[in-house]
Amino acid sequence: MTVKTMIKKNKLLVMVAVIYLILFALMPDNATTAIKNSIYYLIEMFEVLPVIFLLTVVIEALVPKEWIIKHFGEKSGLLGNLLSLVLGSISAGPIYAAFPISKMLMTKGASVANIVIILSSWAVIKVPMLANEAKFLGVSFMSIRWVLTVVAILIMAWLMGKMISKREMVNDVIDHSKPKVVVNQDYCIGCGICVKMMPEVYELTDQKAYARLENVNSGNMTMIRNTVIKCPTQAITINASGGAE
Amino acid sequence: MDIFTLSFWGISIALTGFSLVKSKKKTFEAMKKSKGMMGNMLGEIIAIIFIIGIVLTFIPPESIKSILGSENTALATIIAAVAGSITLIPAFVAFPLVGSFVDVGASIVPAVAFLTTLTMVGIVTFPLEKKEFGFKFTFIRNSLSFVMALLIAAAMGVLL
Repeated sequence: MTVKTMIKKNKLLVMVAVIYLILFALMPDNATTAIKNSIYYLIEMFEVLPVIFLLTVVIEALVPKEWIIKHFGEKSGLLGNLLSLVLGSISAGPIYAAFPISKMLMTKGASVANIVIILSSWAVIKVPMLANEAKFLGVSFMSIRWVLTVVAILIMAWLMGKMISKREMVNDVIDHSKPKVVVNQDYCIGCGICVKMMPEVYELTDQKAYARLENVNSGNMTMIRNTVIKCPTQAITINASGGAE
Repeated sequence: MDIFTLSFWGISIALTGFSLVKSKKKTFEAMKKSKGMMGNMLGEIIAIIFIIGIVLTFIPPESIKSILGSENTALATIIAAVAGSITLIPAFVAFPLVGSFVDVGASIVPAVAFLTTLTMVGIVTFPLEKKEFGFKFTFIRNSLSFVMALLIAAAMGVLL
């Protein structure tokens, strides 16, 4: 990897490093305080991220896709919402720890609404936090806020499930530096040939196939080219731009 | 490490062990996939943590008190909600801080708005959320959470 692509990949980190350099030059006291403040969060991160890593591994390796679709998918209903709420509430760690888990559940078939519930309850509802709140602000304060928050989360989930489709989200997070595989939704007839050939890359939703781009890499490109050839309506295109955009 | 985080370590290590026994190959494949996914996030998470450090230095938790104590409750509520969206104060600092203030007799409405946006809305984590779930999802989720926090605060004001 060249230095340029390294910088491009870690844009935010480079930016923050520059800010700190400036801060150290102009206000060394504030810079030291900022570093000290960050350390608490760094420790928290190292306490939680390895667990998150293991949990995503376990979900991927042990939990079958059908199970996720049944319990967290579009048709999981109220029970799915409750399950998501419980999952988010028993979690540990800050909201960013919820991102990999939610992402993993989403790629395995969880619905948009349930992802919203998991993310929100992960951020807001935590047993140790509730105990803390009751201690300092009173039990009635804590319980009323908890009930209102749960209601708010459920309303948000319902609204967002209506407003955003999963396909829209998948298209929204395309990494432009990677080879891009696109299924033209106007041409796709939903025959499922590509899905049968490469279930790890293609997915059939609402009678249309779409590519899960996070699983597209240079290693399976040859096989993907085969699916392009096999597609009866030539709906699949590969756009192998090496960061030219 | 609190007992919750510790039990999470226990559970996830046990489950990984079980997964390894069940299928070594599948587990290692999953590890490779997760490594790729989390590796992409790690740089950004570290960057975000150092941004939080800066935000906390220039907007220390104590400064929230002057916002919560404003005479105009409606304005104070909105400012408190914005402050909660920007900062990321650990809950065990936020609760005693807000608690001490409510004890003195301040209105709870801005306090609730602050506590709720503190955890539910994340301006600092926005780039990371956007990368994983897309701009539209992230924007709507955070905006809705902000509005909901104001509604929760108003409802608390009526109920308590």
